[in-house]
Amino acid sequence: METRVKRALIVDDNVALARVTQFALDGAGYETETAFNGRLALDAALETQFDIVITDQQMPEMTGVELCQGLRSRPEYADCPIILLTAKGLELELPRLRDELGIDATFAKPFSPSAIVKACGELLATATVEPECVS
Amino acid sequence: MLRSSSNLGLPRKVVVFYLLFSLVAVSWLAVGLLFTSHSVAESRTTSTSLASLGKTAAALELDYLQNGTANLQQILQSNQWSSGLQSYAVVSLEGTVLAHSDLQSIGKPANETRGEQLSWGTVSGVRYENARGQIVNEYRVPLVAHEDHFGTLRVAVNQLSFWRTLGEIARLAPTVILLPLGLIAVGGLYLARLASPVAKVDAQLRRIALQRPTIDVEIEPLPANDAVSIGWNRLVKAYQSLNSSKDSDGLESRLSKVIAARGQGQMQAVLHNLAEGIAVTDMEGRITFANRAISALLGTETTNEELAGIELEGYILAASGQADSRRLFEEDNTHRPMITECESQTVADPRTLRIARLPMQEESMHGHVWSVRDITQQKLTEKTRDQFIDVATHELRTPLSNIKAYAETLVTCDSIEVEQQKEFCNIINSEVTRLARFVDDLLSISSMEAGSIVIDRQRTITAKLFEEVLTKVRPLMKQKNIDFVVQLPEKMADVEVDKDKVVAVVVNLLGNAAKYTPENGRVTLRVKIDEAQLHITVEDTGMGIASDEASKVFDKFFRSSDPRVQGETGTGLGLALAREVVRMHGGDITVESQIDQGSTFEATIPIK
Repeated sequence: METRVKRALIVDDNVALARVTQFALDGAGYETETAFNGRLALDAALETQFDIVITDQQMPEMTGVELCQGLRSRPEYADCPIILLTAKGLELELPRLRDELGIDATFAKPFSPSAIVKACGELLATATVEPECVS
Repeated sequence: MLRSSSNLGLPRKVVVFYLLFSLVAVSWLAVGLLFTSHSVAESRTTSTSLASLGKTAAALELDYLQNGTANLQQILQSNQWSSGLQSYAVVSLEGTVLAHSDLQSIGKPANETRGEQLSWGTVSGVRYENARGQIVNEYRVPLVAHEDHFGTLRVAVNQLSFWRTLGEIARLAPTVILLPLGLIAVGGLYLARLASPVAKVDAQLRRIALQRPTIDVEIEPLPANDAVSIGWNRLVKAYQSLNSSKDSDGLESRLSKVIAARGQGQMQAVLHNLAEGIAVTDMEGRITFANRAISALLGTETTNEELAGIELEGYILAASGQADSRRLFEEDNTHRPMITECESQTVADPRTLRIARLPMQEESMHGHVWSVRDITQQKLTEKTRDQFIDVATHELRTPLSNIKAYAETLVTCDSIEVEQQKEFCNIINSEVTRLARFVDDLLSISSMEAGSIVIDRQRTITAKLFEEVLTKVRPLMKQKNIDFVVQLPEKMADVEVDKDKVVAVVVNLLGNAAKYTPENGRVTLRVKIDEAQLHITVEDTGMGIASDEASKVFDKFFRSSDPRVQGETGTGLGLALAREVVRMHGGDITVESQIDQGSTFEATIPIK
C-alpha cells in the first residue's frame, strides 16, 4: 500500500477553472500544481513526476491531446492516468483517445469538480486521504 | 357503259359527245347527200332519156313521112343511146313490133309489160322489174306524122342503181366525207386541248370526291398558263397557304405542337437565364447543350456554340486550374447521381463550385445532365456559422464551467473560509457579467445589422470622452506592464457623436491592443480633430496580423488562425461591433499590420 501523497497536474488556460479544480483536489488531499498551457505543463511534468494529469483540450500553443502525446512519449508517463477536459464534445471520441493515447476519462465542460476528484480517486485506485469536499 | 362514261370526266365526255354527234350529223348528211345525189342523178337520167326519146321520135316521124316504116329499124340502130339502155322498139297501133333492138321480135306482137304507170307529159311509161331483178323504166312516146298516129316508140332503160350512185359518191368521198371528218377530228383535238386544264381540274376534283372526308385534300397546281390554270393555281396557293398554318392532324395536334415549340423556346430561355450552370453531355461526355452560366461560373469566355462537342469533365478541370487531376468522378459510377466540390483557382477571387452529374433518365436520350453551382457564398456562410458555433461554444461554456465549478464548490464544501467564499462569488459574478456581455454583443451586432439600432448623436466634450476611455483601459495596460502612450491634442473641440458607443469602440481597440501585445510592450493612442472628423489611431507593438487575415478581422466571429491567439478569450464580435458603430456615424475603420511588428487601427468618425 502506497502512502505517498498523490501528485496531480491541472492544466487549463482558464485560470479560474484551474484554480477551483485545484481547490477541490487540494481538499481531497492531493498535492497539486497548475499550468496554463500544454507547453508549460510538459515542462512541469518533466520536472516533477505526477501521478495523474487533468488537462483541458483547447489551449494555446499546445492542446491537451498534444500534451498527452508528449507525455506518452516519455516512459515515466506511459501508464500515468490522464483526464481530458473538453468543451467541444470530444467525449464522443473517447474510445479512440483511450486506444491511441491512453486517455482514461473525459469530462465535458461545464463539469463538477467533485466528479473530477472522484474520477481521480478511482483511476488511482486508492487515495491517501478521503476527499473531504466530495459529498 | 354509264359507269364508264361517267368515269370519263366532263371534258372528255364533252369531246366524246362532240365527236359522236358530229359523226352522226356527218353520217346523216352523207346519207342525205347519197339519196339526194341518187335522186338528182335519176332525174337527170330520166330527162336525158326523155330528151333523147324526143329526138329519136322526131327522126322516126320525119322518116316515116318519106319512107314509111322501111327505115325505122335502121334509124333506131344508128341512134346513140344513153347508158342503161335495156331495149328499144317501135310498135304499131295494132301492137305489132315494127322495129326492135332484138331483131327476132320484129313482126311479132309486142309484149305488154305490167307495172307502175308513169307519165311525163305526152310521154307515158311503165316501171317494172325484169327477170334479172333490175328496175326498168319503159318510156312510151307516140309517133305521129301529120296527125297520122302510126305507132309508139318504146325504150326500156334500166333505172339508175342506188349502188351505182353510191359508187359515184364514193369516188368523191375524200372531198365530200373525209374533209368534214378531218375537220371534226381537228375540232375534237382543239376542244380536247382547250378542255385539258379543265380535265386536270376535273380529275383532281374527282379524286377529292372519292376520298374519305377525314383525309386531308392534296391538290396540285397546273403547269399551263391559261385562265383556268391560273385561276386554279391561285386556288391551290390559297389552299396550301391555309393548310400550311394548319397541322395535318388537326387543330388539337397543331396547338400542342405550337405550345410545345413555344414551351421549348421558353425552356431554353429559362435554362440560359439560370444562375446555375446546366449542361447535357452524351455518352462520351461531350457537351450537347450548355447554358450561358457554365462559362461564367468557370471563368472562361467560351460561347455556348464553342462548348458544343467539348469533353465537359476535362473542360471543368482545366478551367478550374486542376488539369492535373485526372477525373472529377470515378468512371465506374456513370449510372449513379454524383456530386463533388471543386475549387476554381483560375480567377482572382477563388470560387467553390458544386458539380453534380446525373444520368439521363429519358429513354430517347442517353448521357448526363450536369449542374454547376457557385457555393462560395454558401461555404462562407457555413464557415461563419462554424466560427459562430466555435466562439459561442467557447464563450458560453467557459463562464458556465467556471460558474458551475465555483457554485458547486461553494455548495458542497463546508470548510471554505469566508474570504475564499467572497472570492468565489466574485468569480461567479464576473463570469455572469461576461456571459451577459457576450449575449449583449450578439444582440447588438444583430440589431445593428438589422438596422434596428440607431446612433444617438449628442454634443460631447471630447476630453471627457477620452477620460472615460482611459479610466477603463489603464488597468489593463498596467496589468501587463504596457507602456501606454496617449497623445491627445491640447485643445479639443466638442464633437457630436454617440458618446457611449464611441467610448466602447475606443475601449475595444485599446483592449485588443493590450490583449495581443506582450508584457512590457507599447500601446499608443493618438487623437486628432479637424473641422470635420475625429481621427483615432491605436498602435501597438504586438504580434500583428497576417496580411491575408487583416481584411477579415472586422468580420463577425472571425478568430485568427495564429496559434498564439488561440488561448485568448474573445467573441470575435468586438471589431465587428466597432466597425458597425463607426460606419453608423458615417466613418470608417482600417487596419495596417505586420506579423511580429504590431498593428495600427485607425478610426475616422465625422464629428457632426
